Amino acid sequence: MTFITDIRDYPWTSLLAGILPKRLAGFLPRRFQATTSQIVPSASIAGNALTVVIAIMTFLACLTAGAVYMVNQSASAWVNDIASEITIELDPVNSPDIEKKITLVSLFLAKQKGITEVRPLSADDSAKLLEPWLGSTAALSALPIPRLIAVEIDRSSPPDIELIKTALSQNFEGVTLDDHRRWQAEIRTLTRTAALGGISVLGLVAAATIAVIISATRSAMASNREIIEVLHFVGANERFISGEFERHFLGLGVRAGLVGALAAAIAFLLLPVIMHLMGGGIVTEAETRRLVGSGELDIGGYLLLVLVVVVVAGLCMITSRLGVIRVLKSYA
Amino acid sequence: MIRFDNVGLRYGSGPEILRDVTFHVLPGSFHFLTGPSGAGKTSLLRLLFMSLRPSRGLIFVFGENVADLPPAGRAALRRRIGIVFQDFRLLDHLTTWENVALPLRVMGKKESDYAEDVTDLLRWVGLGDRIHAYPEILSGGEKQRAAIARAVIGRPELLLADEPTGNVDPAIGNRLLRLFVELNRLGTSVIIATHDYALMEQLEAPRLMLYEGQLQASAP
Repeated sequence: MTFITDIRDYPWTSLLAGILPKRLAGFLPRRFQATTSQIVPSASIAGNALTVVIAIMTFLACLTAGAVYMVNQSASAWVNDIASEITIELDPVNSPDIEKKITLVSLFLAKQKGITEVRPLSADDSAKLLEPWLGSTAALSALPIPRLIAVEIDRSSPPDIELIKTALSQNFEGVTLDDHRRWQAEIRTLTRTAALGGISVLGLVAAATIAVIISATRSAMASNREIIEVLHFVGANERFISGEFERHFLGLGVRAGLVGALAAAIAFLLLPVIMHLMGGGIVTEAETRRLVGSGELDIGGYLLLVLVVVVVAGLCMITSRLGVIRVLKSYA
Repeated sequence: MIRFDNVGLRYGSGPEILRDVTFHVLPGSFHFLTGPSGAGKTSLLRLLFMSLRPSRGLIFVFGENVADLPPAGRAALRRRIGIVFQDFRLLDHLTTWENVALPLRVMGKKESDYAEDVTDLLRWVGLGDRIHAYPEILSGGEKQRAAIARAVIGRPELLLADEPTGNVDPAIGNRLLRLFVELNRLGTSVIIATHDYALMEQLEAPRLMLYEGQLQASAP
């Protein structure tokens, strides 16, 4: 109930004035301007150094969250792609008429339930898949390159893969089926590892932010001890006094958070340019794309950055409140 | 309303500043607290205001034993008490108007509900033209009046004043005394700590005499 009362009684209309720098707050419409002076003056709370530290923390948190989000999106796309496809591999050794065998296997597969498309890859297509490693050379045609059949499956009613696998091995010699499970598992492991690493970094950033805010709260209270005493004398309780400090730290958190998130958003926008400037070529770009997809955040990614700002501001507010109450208790 | 039973006070391991202080303050009463400098008047006021804890004895404020009260309970009682400090304790970054309105702001009242009352009171104490001034440009007497206005704006049930007329000329002093008397008529109990005998002569009120830390007499 106290929390609901806090929300209800919060001076929302003057919050914007508290967040904006003083010289900009003056341009706000009258109803958004604070009617009376702040009981605890902003200047006594924290200098620019604290704002810069929180902005850097937010920047790092946003970079981490954004990178994990991109890796996750890219991995999901991979998993989706490979989960809706299986590959049939035909061993060219001991298959004098490989083209006939491909046709037969393709016909067999097309008859199976749950298969939407069967696409045999030509010898040239198979050779092209090896080009990144072996280059474009005439020697490729002399190599016994396995022939592939790409099979699209209906994800809403998938076929019985194990049954098809058994039927293929019984009816055709040297034909194997790869349902990409190994790759899916590896991608999931990669995603989980990236997420775990990201969460660890976010945890460290949150811990550092909390430590900085606790220290700033203590010094703010020490420099405003006289104001706190007067507030006590006029009957202010812990909630009121902590609210006065908390409002400043919320404003600081939002301001610094927005700066950090904006810097991170710009960094994500400029990522391809930065890579290019750092000397990255087509290969670097291709590898990056493989890891993080398009390398750009979508709307969900930018919403995640906004969420980071909200969390940082909330962290500043809650930490300062708890810090103030703790110091007030020590005064008592 | 207020009861002190054998209250003693010492700072740290020093000598007792107050010894065996016992008295009652009834609702609607008016008292002068007097005695020579260093007799312990300010310390007694601080005990009354719960900003100090006694070394021994019991203090009851509005029927509550202050030793048993949590911080929130003491804050609630302080809202029923107005206090004027000898050193004013005005906040330098707030205007005179904002300083006076502070207790009402702390009570959670809306500014629109009290704006007129604050302005009227400031005019009444002769600070009508200093409403937007900051304390650092006010004279000692003006600060004194602003501090008194802040103490009485919330219509407290008990008013404590430490040398409230120490920095003002006799005319303003009389005016402030009238304000205290008027508040007392409206039901506020008043305790004024002073060694201004001229002020005490103007009003027939019991005097709590402190001498070397002991309450020696309570005579009108």
